[in-house]
Amino acid sequence: MILEQITYSLQNLIHRKMRSGLTVVSILIGVMAVFALISFGLGIRKYMDVLAQQAGTDKLFIYAKGTGAPGTNDQFVITQSEVDFVSKINGVKQIAGMYSRPVQITFKKEKKYTYILGFDVSKLDFILEAMSVHIIKGRQLKNDELDKVVLGYNYLFEKKIFKKAVNLGDKVDINNKSFEVVGFFSEVGDPQDDTQVYLTGKAMESLFPTVKDKYGFVLIQAQKGTNTEQLADIIDEKLRKHKGEQKGKEDFFVQTYADALQIFNSIVSILNGVLVLIALISLLVASVNIMNTMYTAVLERTKEIGVMKAIGARNSNIFFIFVFESGFLGAVGGMLGVFFGYVIASIGGAIAAGAGYSLLKPVFPLYLSLSCILFSFSLGAVAGLLPAYQASKQNPVDSLRYE
Amino acid sequence: MLYDYLKLALGNLRKRRLRSWLTMIGIFIGIAAVVSLIGLGEGLRNAIMGQFSFLGTDILTVQAAGLMTGAPGEGAITPLSDKLAARIAQVDGVTAAVNRYIRSGTLEFNKVQVYGFAYSVSEGIDRKIMQQSMNMKPSQGRLLKDGDTRKVVLGSNFATDKTFGKPIAAGDNVLINNIKYQVIGILEKKGSFIVDSAVAINQKQFLKDFGDDGTVSAILVKIDNPNNVNKIEQDVEKVLRKERKVKEGEEDFTVQTAQQALASLNSAIFAVNLFVIIIAAISLVVGGIGIMNTMYTAVLERTKEIGIMKAIGARNSTIFTLFSLESGFLGIVGGLIGIVLGLILAYGFAFLGKIFLGSGLIQAHVPLSWIFIALSFSFVLGVGAGVVPAYQASRMQPVNALRYAK
Repeated sequence: MILEQITYSLQNLIHRKMRSGLTVVSILIGVMAVFALISFGLGIRKYMDVLAQQAGTDKLFIYAKGTGAPGTNDQFVITQSEVDFVSKINGVKQIAGMYSRPVQITFKKEKKYTYILGFDVSKLDFILEAMSVHIIKGRQLKNDELDKVVLGYNYLFEKKIFKKAVNLGDKVDINNKSFEVVGFFSEVGDPQDDTQVYLTGKAMESLFPTVKDKYGFVLIQAQKGTNTEQLADIIDEKLRKHKGEQKGKEDFFVQTYADALQIFNSIVSILNGVLVLIALISLLVASVNIMNTMYTAVLERTKEIGVMKAIGARNSNIFFIFVFESGFLGAVGGMLGVFFGYVIASIGGAIAAGAGYSLLKPVFPLYLSLSCILFSFSLGAVAGLLPAYQASKQNPVDSLRYE
Repeated sequence: MLYDYLKLALGNLRKRRLRSWLTMIGIFIGIAAVVSLIGLGEGLRNAIMGQFSFLGTDILTVQAAGLMTGAPGEGAITPLSDKLAARIAQVDGVTAAVNRYIRSGTLEFNKVQVYGFAYSVSEGIDRKIMQQSMNMKPSQGRLLKDGDTRKVVLGSNFATDKTFGKPIAAGDNVLINNIKYQVIGILEKKGSFIVDSAVAINQKQFLKDFGDDGTVSAILVKIDNPNNVNKIEQDVEKVLRKERKVKEGEEDFTVQTAQQALASLNSAIFAVNLFVIIIAAISLVVGGIGIMNTMYTAVLERTKEIGIMKAIGARNSTIFTLFSLESGFLGIVGGLIGIVLGLILAYGFAFLGKIFLGSGLIQAHVPLSWIFIALSFSFVLGVGAGVVPAYQASRMQPVNALRYAK
């Protein structure tokens, strides 16, 4: 019985190929947009999770408070003596002050501006872990090297930063002083980090004599088993007392890596949510289209409904036939939408990666596809409720008489 | 003739009232979304740009090149020397060149400390030029004058109780980088957080308290005639190239009007707006498909009618016009309703934003041109969606059409 009703529904849809096709397309477009947007949102979240795993949950930062980016202002710094003080706090395993400065980098007469990071090479392993990078070409910096640099990932490619790709052994000028490139770091995924230049703390001090022992930010690794949140509070309090500052008037702030990511994550979620909401408008319009199609179908088949009722079809049978029809339209639209959404998001992800934003990498979990299809099926079925109800309530005599 | 067509088209739409309405709902939801998002997006862009464009068109700003983070001058690679202004002042068409010092620091009042920017105000004859170009007027107390030492003029944001728990008034004492200053005046609200949340100090005292390393954050150049701005800009660049010993094309500084400096920010915001609008516009495409569907149905339903019209002499073009008018009408009426709804939404949101968030950034601004574009677009969408069905209708063989049975 149900099978017959279903075949009948499908036949009707096929009979009006053009109309069914257009209705499916209108749902498809909306589902495609929603699917693609969500897959990017989930992708960024996954990227952040991976980043957090690589960096480990045992990392903390101390930043100097101020108005600009770290290192752009000599007034807001963390000094070596403060770093020494923090290193003695219980629970701090490793600590490294990071020099940070904007510089001009010149390669084959092309000039660019970027940030340079200088650090103590003896703490390299821990610093690289905290920054989630490793050497992918060449070698690491060695202590006391004054004229060598390691470059971010993007320098490996032509036209990303400079017209020509930079190679190992090439010379680059940093603030008009020549340096030899000895290595390249792996990709982080956002253009700013992948454009950074790295050198030894000593080289930094010789490049900027005034910067000595004044750090833009400080990396900390907590001892195993230490609660980083609590450690952050302890460091905050002890350093404040050490510097003789009152609560609320610190000129620095301590943040765990997890917190920093959390803030970024929630911003991304909100932005992504807003975009998805806007894309959902098109699904609303699509459901109006389904409703329209179904009203037309009911109208066209008035006589047919009359005949069916006359030979014993019950209201519920008629209702089911039309709701199934509209639900089917929704489900097909949803499936095609998921497929095209997958294609579009993959292309979009490839383009973003090419532009240096490989953090914008969409992910396609199965539950996303399934819930998109289920959603569009329900949307179709709901949009068909009113027309189907109208059809089921038709008076057989009137229906048969309808011209 | 056209009147007859219109009457026919409208009559047909009215006959299928429910279907016509549903089709138009599809269009106006999309148009309302697009119009309201344009309104809020443009409002936001205006609000943000307004924050930065407190300098007039007769002002050029010289800055050292570098990473533009924070305040002017922070992030510069080779800072500007304080000797340059005197050289720039000699350029033809330059009325004055004034050194600007901008530093970040702490401001403390009522036991609350905040981070922000302090800027210097030139002394002597340059004071007037600076005050005029930044349109500084006191809402309380007075502006700075020569001879003022540890006196400070605050932006209007500090006169509210938001920052410090209670408003600062002229005559109060504040700590700037832990040095005591007396507030001598509060500026009128400029609607720009840069000026409204910054503090102004006389240049001599500024350099004493913040330190002087012979470099400046920016140089403000006032020119005599905004029409000559390009020529003067080039002359200033020439002087700077000579002074800083760099070749043409390798400048490590910029000379720009505020409008030029903001061009990239402006286009970035515009790009974001455009992206959002494109996503919203997807619903318009869906609405267009709805129109197409309705028109196909209409053509199908009226096959016999078309046959009769053709049999009594209607030309293909007549049938085509008839159906195009119908779909265009669906588009334009849907568009009109959508625009009205969109305006209500945009201004409603802006109103709610002002009340509940108190944020001046949520504004609505729907340029008339965009309304016109939205309306034309919905008409074109309607006609466009109707083209294929109308063409199909117009090419029907009258004999077959008459024979067609439902």
